[in-house]
Amino acid sequence: MSGPRATRATGITAWWHAIRRDRKASIGATLIAGFVLVGIVGPWLVGAPDALVGVPLQSPSGAHWLGTNGQGQDVLAQLVVGTRVSLAIGFAVGLAVVLIGALVGVTAGYFGGRVDALLSVIFNVFLVLPGLPLAIVIAAYLPSGPLTLGFVLVVTGWAWNARVLRSQALALRRRDFVAAAVVAGESPFNIITREILPNMMSLLVAQVIGSTVYAIGAQVGLEFLGLGDVSAFTWGTNLYWSQNDSALLTGAWWTFVPTGLCVALVGFGLTLLNSGFDEITNPRLQMERAWRAHLAARGRTPTRSTPVVRDRD
Amino acid sequence: MIAAAPPPPWARLAFALAALGAVACARDVPRAPAGVLVVSQEQQASWIRNFNPLTTATSARWPTLAGIYEPLYVFNSQRSEYVPWLAVGHAWTEGNLVLQLTTRDSVLWSDGRPFDARDVAFTFDLLKRHPALDRRGLWGFLSAVDAVDERTVAFRFQRVFIPGFDEIVAQQIVPRHVWSTVADPVAFANENPVATGPFTEVRVFQNQVYELGRNPRYWRPGEPHFDAIRCPAYPSNDRANLALVFGEADWAGNFIPAVDRVFVGRNPEHHRYWFPLTGSSIFLYANTRRAPFDDVRVRKAFSMAIDRTLMVDVALHHYSRPADATGLSDAYAAWRDSAAVAAGDWVRHDPAAAGRLLDAAGLVRGADGMRRLPDGKPLRYEVLSVAGWSDWVRAAQVIARDLQSLGVDATVRTYDFSAWFQRVQEGNFDLTLGWSFEGPTPYSFYRWLMASATVSPVGVAAMGNWHRYGSPAADRGLAAFEREADPTKQRALCVELQRVFVSEAPAIPLYPNPSWAEYNTSRFDGFPAADHPYADPSPNKFDRGELLLVLTTLTPR
Amino acid sequence: MPYILQRLGFYVFAAWAALTLNFFLPRLMPGDPATALFARFRGRLAPEAMLALRETFGLTDAPLLVQYVTYLGHVLRGDFGISIAYFPSPVSQVIGTGLVWTVFLAGTALIVSFAIGTLLGAVAAWQRRGWLDTWLPSTLVFIGAFPYFWLAMLALYVLGFTLRWFPLGHAYGDDLTPGFTFTFLADVVRHAALPIGTVVLATLGGWLLSMRNTMIAVLGSDYVNLARAKGLPPSQVMLRYAARNALLPSVTGFGMALGFVLGGSLLTEIVFSYPGQGYLLVQAVRNQDYPLMQGIFLVITLAVLGANWLVDLALLWLDPRTRESS
Repeated sequence: MSGPRATRATGITAWWHAIRRDRKASIGATLIAGFVLVGIVGPWLVGAPDALVGVPLQSPSGAHWLGTNGQGQDVLAQLVVGTRVSLAIGFAVGLAVVLIGALVGVTAGYFGGRVDALLSVIFNVFLVLPGLPLAIVIAAYLPSGPLTLGFVLVVTGWAWNARVLRSQALALRRRDFVAAAVVAGESPFNIITREILPNMMSLLVAQVIGSTVYAIGAQVGLEFLGLGDVSAFTWGTNLYWSQNDSALLTGAWWTFVPTGLCVALVGFGLTLLNSGFDEITNPRLQMERAWRAHLAARGRTPTRSTPVVRDRD
Repeated sequence: MIAAAPPPPWARLAFALAALGAVACARDVPRAPAGVLVVSQEQQASWIRNFNPLTTATSARWPTLAGIYEPLYVFNSQRSEYVPWLAVGHAWTEGNLVLQLTTRDSVLWSDGRPFDARDVAFTFDLLKRHPALDRRGLWGFLSAVDAVDERTVAFRFQRVFIPGFDEIVAQQIVPRHVWSTVADPVAFANENPVATGPFTEVRVFQNQVYELGRNPRYWRPGEPHFDAIRCPAYPSNDRANLALVFGEADWAGNFIPAVDRVFVGRNPEHHRYWFPLTGSSIFLYANTRRAPFDDVRVRKAFSMAIDRTLMVDVALHHYSRPADATGLSDAYAAWRDSAAVAAGDWVRHDPAAAGRLLDAAGLVRGADGMRRLPDGKPLRYEVLSVAGWSDWVRAAQVIARDLQSLGVDATVRTYDFSAWFQRVQEGNFDLTLGWSFEGPTPYSFYRWLMASATVSPVGVAAMGNWHRYGSPAADRGLAAFEREADPTKQRALCVELQRVFVSEAPAIPLYPNPSWAEYNTSRFDGFPAADHPYADPSPNKFDRGELLLVLTTLTPR
Repeated sequence: MPYILQRLGFYVFAAWAALTLNFFLPRLMPGDPATALFARFRGRLAPEAMLALRETFGLTDAPLLVQYVTYLGHVLRGDFGISIAYFPSPVSQVIGTGLVWTVFLAGTALIVSFAIGTLLGAVAAWQRRGWLDTWLPSTLVFIGAFPYFWLAMLALYVLGFTLRWFPLGHAYGDDLTPGFTFTFLADVVRHAALPIGTVVLATLGGWLLSMRNTMIAVLGSDYVNLARAKGLPPSQVMLRYAARNALLPSVTGFGMALGFVLGGSLLTEIVFSYPGQGYLLVQAVRNQDYPLMQGIFLVITLAVLGANWLVDLALLWLDPRTRESS
């Protein structure tokens, strides 16, 4: 595989260029940027989400672009305000989950031995416990609200990251530059923060993105079950109310289709971004890209064969 | 780029499978056999076999309380009268301290053994020995229940308490020869009920459907007119409504939004509904232990600020009407006093008059337009509601909006039921929505609204009277009512109670809840309707046996 | 053998952890089942009934440790206590009514999705940049990004409610008696088509991508190139050489996916009013029916742990390296 030094050299600008070069990644990035923008400025552009603006269950019209819901509130306003909250929780949980995962995983991978055995057992246990039922059970006992939701999602989501990051740390631990640092007498804290974590940067980013997808999906699911704060405005509670107000029966598709699309678009965007990253950072796919460019420059089409990459180490 | 490859073999296989699947899925409408009434009342994911009519009411499958087992008298809330059922007559003796009930002759239990007065005495004795079964708190006023002979039961009271009659006669009666051998009647699932009701034979019991066949020995000749009741398990309101709309269910008691379009519109000939306003009344309770809600002018002013017409539109899809100042629902139509209603001008939407009342109470507007208490504190209140109860949340939003235009800084605050209930019970609130307490007469309704005996100190959980209002005038009226057995005199006393309520405004009535009933007349005839109001139409009315009136009237087409 | 025993030990430990979590969680939080039961009546119950309810559900005041030991003992005997909402039925009876349907739904969905997804992934990798590889992965990933229950709602609305091609819910027709008859089994398939279909659709993308990506890596390896160079028929190279080896990561992921698919199918069950554990669990939460909630969680957890162990056994058989290490 490619040397860690190679990824280490990539800075933010390099990422930026890489994203722009890759079609998938740029579509994903555009989608996410659009949603983040809506989440940040949108709530100021729409009316209050809880205002009673008209007759319940009006279909979309000029006055209410996405119609009104079963309570006579503007669906668009709720969607936009929900975007802010849902994305905020999603990204916060995604970040928290990876931080905790990195802490546990890297500690286990770096120190090895008993520490590794103990931590591994813990995250493996969390990994085999079914996530959604566990989340439901924990959420049931806590007062409903974004904090509870975040907590529940972190509890059920961190273990996967710990596992992935542990094996990465284990691999890096055997590398020369880490060994050199150990020999040089650097403290484990310094080695982890200065040598190991920076070398896992692309993996960490990928994990954050993946965890955010998980967090948004799980959050929407839990809120749909009424386990969130049902008086708040998030994508999940919008769907909960849509179901509660018999959207299917009344044919009020506008109360649940746009929200579901938004969830899917964000998830899709993040996944594209991630697979784009993968193409950028995965050496095999990099080689393939170069090979195709090389062939294209000579006016040929590539065959189905896949170029082989040799480890540079 | 390479040319698109032809679809590989697996794709052809997939298409073939899909085609096969499509054939297997011919369209159909599941229809129950003729004479089987399909009802959706309880909403559960799967059924648990339990026909115990004495434990907590939610555990037993519908209609255990009124269909399998039966009470002594059935209360008809539409006609406001008692229909003799397992008892045929009653008399008060010994200065109204003893109630004698005469039981019906010729009633057989479904296993063929005769029913008599000893079964009744046994049932009440069971409640005494197992307080967990005493849902109505009967032994709070009873001192002894004895079978005098085979047809007479004597109920001895601790004190004269006429409203106790309502609770006694609503009790479901169980057979002594079966229940005397049950070790723990509280935890008894009673899987094969022996009862007196019209439907006693459990024919099918699966996790997603059960069926109850008619009682071959039912005491009402020729009844029931149909063969069986079938109850499919629908986990949610939404799912139950789908079944109703597609004609899978014949009778249900659900909330349906836009019922005319969604339900009636699909089959105007047979899809019917009737939502009589006989449910419990919804109130805005103001904590009268906190200033300024101890001032009747403030309570009335808040009431006049509320646009109840908008509220019933927004919160209840027009299914209800604004409450009058007596707070009584249509279940008490016969008791309602028109003079008291007319005197209650404080439920009319009149923001200007509301403002004048607050001014008079010393709560004047400041420079910012918001009103302040005499000590300068702004009027800032939360209107409490229960999270997820959408009608209440919407009603609270209307209230908050209207109070804001009155110069009161009101906001809606929703809590989970437990958290809300705890606050309300302990009196830890300013304004909250809440229900009323119902009975055959307005006695318990007004008792829990304004009897001093029901007032708990703030901080101590109160079963009712959360707003903590005690009225000496009401106490006198209620005490007189407890001792009055004559219906005409009861009516006069009730008028007095209404007058007290209207003048003191202990709580702010908002709207009466409808009793939900939707039915499909393509397979069955004889549902109660607005033009044939022989009983409450809702399958939800099982507590006092009213359901039996419908089950014994319905006929298959 | 030691490997399999070691895994078994781990699952027993995980089960104990779940049990302990299950025991302490509810006891750390405030809450009163009688109140919750009262809520469902919204005033249709006399205030006095509240006292009777509390009487019925008297919770013990024994020391926590004593309660814990009693609890463990009971669970080992399969006794999860008495359900509050379905009083007086034992939790095991309530769970028993729907367990088989949840297992059927989640299991079938997982297997179907795994089989189709893996096959498509192998084909996509083999025909790299063919029409399949160009469109299918992104389409499926896009579909997979929708919440399961949302797809289920849409499928129910379009295929069930509007077109009436499929039943609107339940596991079989209300007129049928369960049994191994053709009519009954055909009806079960008909009722399961939409719930399983939506779960499969939502999870297909994951299997496809996982298989495709490993397969691409495997296809670049020397032994596959050698097989090709030897002039073996392409189908043989694809299935015998590449796919079999590329399957390993997917099989490893199978155990992990089980818990995930189970969660998704719980949500789907709710939409289709399928008589499984999904709605039971949600209702238990809403009614604060702690014993039932814990029971369902435990049973689901044990099922997932058991399935994981089976996957370990399968891996042992598939992967010679595991065999050697043990």
